[in-house]
Amino acid sequence: MAITEQVDHGPPPMPISNGHGNGDHDTHTGIVNPKLAMWLFLSSDCLFFGAFISTFLLYRDRPGQAGPSPADVFDIPFTSVTSFILLMSSLTMVLALAAIQRGELRRFRIWIMATALFGATFIGGQIFEFTEFTRQGLNLDTSLFGSSFFVLTGLHGAHVTAGIIWLMSLWGLSMQGRIGPGQSEAVEIAGLYWHFVDVVWIVIFTVVYLIPK
Amino acid sequence: MTDPNDEATNESPVATAEQAAERAIERAEERLPEEMTTPAPGLLPGELRPHPTPVQYVTVAVVLVVITAIEIAVSYTEGTLPDGLIVVLLIVMAFVKFFLVAAWYMHLRTDAPVFRRFFIVGAAAAILLYLIVLTTLHALS
Repeated sequence: MAITEQVDHGPPPMPISNGHGNGDHDTHTGIVNPKLAMWLFLSSDCLFFGAFISTFLLYRDRPGQAGPSPADVFDIPFTSVTSFILLMSSLTMVLALAAIQRGELRRFRIWIMATALFGATFIGGQIFEFTEFTRQGLNLDTSLFGSSFFVLTGLHGAHVTAGIIWLMSLWGLSMQGRIGPGQSEAVEIAGLYWHFVDVVWIVIFTVVYLIPK
Repeated sequence: MTDPNDEATNESPVATAEQAAERAIERAEERLPEEMTTPAPGLLPGELRPHPTPVQYVTVAVVLVVITAIEIAVSYTEGTLPDGLIVVLLIVMAFVKFFLVAAWYMHLRTDAPVFRRFFIVGAAAAILLYLIVLTTLHALS
């Protein structure tokens, strides 16, 4: 009869609690899975936008393109205002996070709503800009510049729109009393996404609009 | 004894912007109520230090707005300044803004270093991708 040797490996390592009452987030590394997943997503999204920014830079100045050129259609003062609004939405987002961490739910709702409204204003500006460009003869299929511009900025706008929906759902959950200081991690993860959308616009604004052709 | 690497870092635009922000924060904190000048209590998972205070957040926003205004002004100097200089200035300012948002608003200053590494790898890969695409396709065209 075989004798099985019992090797004592000692007790399993204790998971590190995140201290926010979300037991399903406890990990052995102390790094919570949702936050890690968000950073991995943002890292891959850098490549996603990198590809479209590269395409725009490559195609924008190709000679012999039909339709208006970037210098003909870009309205720098207008885009500067919408960029400023998106920058300010990052400020209201961090103030929302600080408010929920302190348990100030009323302030949290104000700041998160302000963030969503700033985002919606930015999207409104982008729709106006697209409409103006179309009126001036620049469409998705007019030229390589038009295609790469509308795809790049349109995809960024889609990211902002998804962010607005996320923020509004957080606002709705807080109105129902389902979000409080114990769930501030959920607000931080939404904030990471929102700030990422902002830093991508920082690059797009400089590379697409400001750098001379 | 001063480390020459430290000196080099201190002279970079990012370090200069951060120093200016910190001085402005110190001045503002002397005049504001405590809830504006203290970070939110407790640490979120994966954090090593407390988040910035609301005053620090506002100060960073002011710095971002000022840099954006300078960016726009620089873009209007086309024809006055050499194009190469304008491009360099705009890229440096965009990088400073990117750094400020990532470090202060995305909390990479206070979070576990693993998050910073993920983001740096993603951003570096995006720049590498651009360089490969640009050199390859420009050479073909």
